[in-house]
Amino acid sequence: MSARRHWGLALSSSMLALGLSACNSLPGRPARADYPLRPSAVTNYSELYNENCAGCHGVDGKFGAAFALNNPVYLGIVDDKRLTNIVARGVDGTAMPPFAASAGGALTDEQIAIIVGGMRKQWARDGAAEGAPSYATNGPGDPAQGTKVFATFCASCHGADGKGGAAPGSIVNGSFLALTSDQDLRAIVIAGRPDLGHPDWKDYLAGEPMTAQQVSDVVAWLASKRPAMPRGASYAQRN
Amino acid sequence: MPLRDWTKAIGDWFELRLGLSSTLSEVAAHPVPRSSASWWYVFGSATFVIFIMQIVTGICLATVYTPSAEGAWSSLIYLNYTQPLGWYLRALHGWGSDFMVGLMFVHMAQVYLFGAYKYPRELTWVAGCVLLLCTLGMAFTGQVLRFDQDAYWGLGIGASIVGRFPFVGFKLVHLILGGPIIAAETLSRFFALHVFVIPGILIGFVALHLFLVLKLGINEYPMPGRIVTREHYLQDYERTVTGDGEPFFPFAAQKDMVFAGIIILALLVVAAISGPFGPNGQPDPTIIKTVPRPDFFFLWLFAVFALLPPWSETFLMLVGPPIVIALLFALPFISGTGEKSWRRRPISVVIVILAFTTIGTLTWLGTFSPWSPKMEAWSEAPTPVDYVKGRTPLELQGAILIQSKQCRNCHALGGEGGMRGPALDDVATRLTPDQIVRQIIQGGGNMPAYGKNLSPAEVNAIVAFLNTMHPRSELGARNSVKPEQPISDVDSHHSPAQ
Repeated sequence: MSARRHWGLALSSSMLALGLSACNSLPGRPARADYPLRPSAVTNYSELYNENCAGCHGVDGKFGAAFALNNPVYLGIVDDKRLTNIVARGVDGTAMPPFAASAGGALTDEQIAIIVGGMRKQWARDGAAEGAPSYATNGPGDPAQGTKVFATFCASCHGADGKGGAAPGSIVNGSFLALTSDQDLRAIVIAGRPDLGHPDWKDYLAGEPMTAQQVSDVVAWLASKRPAMPRGASYAQRN
Repeated sequence: MPLRDWTKAIGDWFELRLGLSSTLSEVAAHPVPRSSASWWYVFGSATFVIFIMQIVTGICLATVYTPSAEGAWSSLIYLNYTQPLGWYLRALHGWGSDFMVGLMFVHMAQVYLFGAYKYPRELTWVAGCVLLLCTLGMAFTGQVLRFDQDAYWGLGIGASIVGRFPFVGFKLVHLILGGPIIAAETLSRFFALHVFVIPGILIGFVALHLFLVLKLGINEYPMPGRIVTREHYLQDYERTVTGDGEPFFPFAAQKDMVFAGIIILALLVVAAISGPFGPNGQPDPTIIKTVPRPDFFFLWLFAVFALLPPWSETFLMLVGPPIVIALLFALPFISGTGEKSWRRRPISVVIVILAFTTIGTLTWLGTFSPWSPKMEAWSEAPTPVDYVKGRTPLELQGAILIQSKQCRNCHALGGEGGMRGPALDDVATRLTPDQIVRQIIQGGGNMPAYGKNLSPAEVNAIVAFLNTMHPRSELGARNSVKPEQPISDVDSHHSPAQ
């Protein structure tokens, strides 16, 4: 064999070796991320959140139809046990369904822990809820007092009677109240909906944060507007 | 003795006994009509070349694959993630099957349009039809061997079609699955079919097909007006070949080789870029979070089965395919003589266009199956932000209920969600609030009635939200009766006579 042929052989075999080593970086090679996991074995927070929560609570916890979870004040007042319980068991009387496999959902307890931990890691901020009223009410509110509290803190946007003002729509609508728990109302009064421009407890009036009692009172006032039996379709929506 | 002489001596020894090279050179040199060396005549050989590749990659895969219900999925995962280049082997075999089915259909259409099935090549066509069925059989059994969720549910659908046969249905299902359900024996059965039975038949019929092509000669390029008759065709062909013939190799074969080369390269590149098919999730019927889809070449059937009216299903599934297959086989006996050129056979051209358009459209529909609800849409497709901003508390509750009551699984918002029902983005331009209430409570069309599953407050909220679903520039639909009057007034004085 001539020297030229040897060189040719060496060159082509090194090209082949190079080519083969490039095979590992070909685009068709299945990536680790494509590994087909059982649904119950998914432990990636974003995947879990996007598949189970984003529909109602919005991408990145904002601008969803339901309560925004990307809310440091809310995450500051609610503890992990309550949050876990809400995700796992759902909230009776509202649209929040149970997600735990033990309650008819599809998620394992571990996955729920990952979701709760992930939300906190992403969106909680130290001190965001400092001085905020507690998550749970510490006593029954007084609806009569609540009327005054409403006039002070809420009426500027929601209208004097709560039927709408700068903020669109009524918050004393029977159907709305029937679909909302007192705890939901309390959470929104305290933590607001920053994505939609609803202030939190300390920002309604400059320099005058709401007290825990005031929150309980205004929620009691709202709850007093809740009809025992909301009227049927197409009538009540104009109430 | 130098190396070259050694090789020659060994070659001569075999040649004396086998006479292979003289036979081969005779075959290679057999004269073909000049006109048949056309780029239109390359699809059959390309299909054959892909078939050879499928055999090679298939054998390589068989060295690793475990044909058991417990081991199959893991061995595919092993190939994909552990075995060096195992994924590429799987990609080649998987894409190879798509290429083979595709080329086969193009070859068939070409043979049909060029009248190559006519006298005396009827048997070649019949053998080709057997090859078609075998190739589709390989595609289906191959999909089952990729034992994942698609395979599991695809097999379930196949078995339930077979189970529709009157009287013998159950026995047939038993025969195919090796029991009443997909279980341990099922995969062994399909392995045997995919690796021994069907390839055996395929090789036999490929041999027959090729033998007939050599024996009867390649079809000349059809000329409009040159009519095939039983009396004259053979002499005419003989004259064409002797008068204006060329040796098959290299004259006609060079285009085959160039095209086959291009196809192989394309396969290598597509496999490298797109990678192997699955396996997706484990074939476990307890995993309901799955959207099974058949492989590409069965998507059109998937669409047909989904769209057939329920009352016609059993009849059409059991009677339709045999009729179509019988017609395919009978073709050369129905129109065995006459015009070959597609220029003088308008109906054939229409049939081919119709078949390809139909199959193409159904395949396209099969890729996203608008008839199936998107079962995850409610929790993973967010309400479009524009539909959240500026809404009232009640409307927002309605938007939540559209999600949590899983309306989104059938109705899209902002292009996301199911397509079984109409998209709701402009529903308020089509229905008045009262009509929306009626539709939700009583259902209608394909929609179930939700009256018993929703409280009045929930219906109110959903209707309030849907009533906002109209473009800013366009008013929502209003009652035609006293349209200027607020609806609540109309309602409170409601009586049918008015």
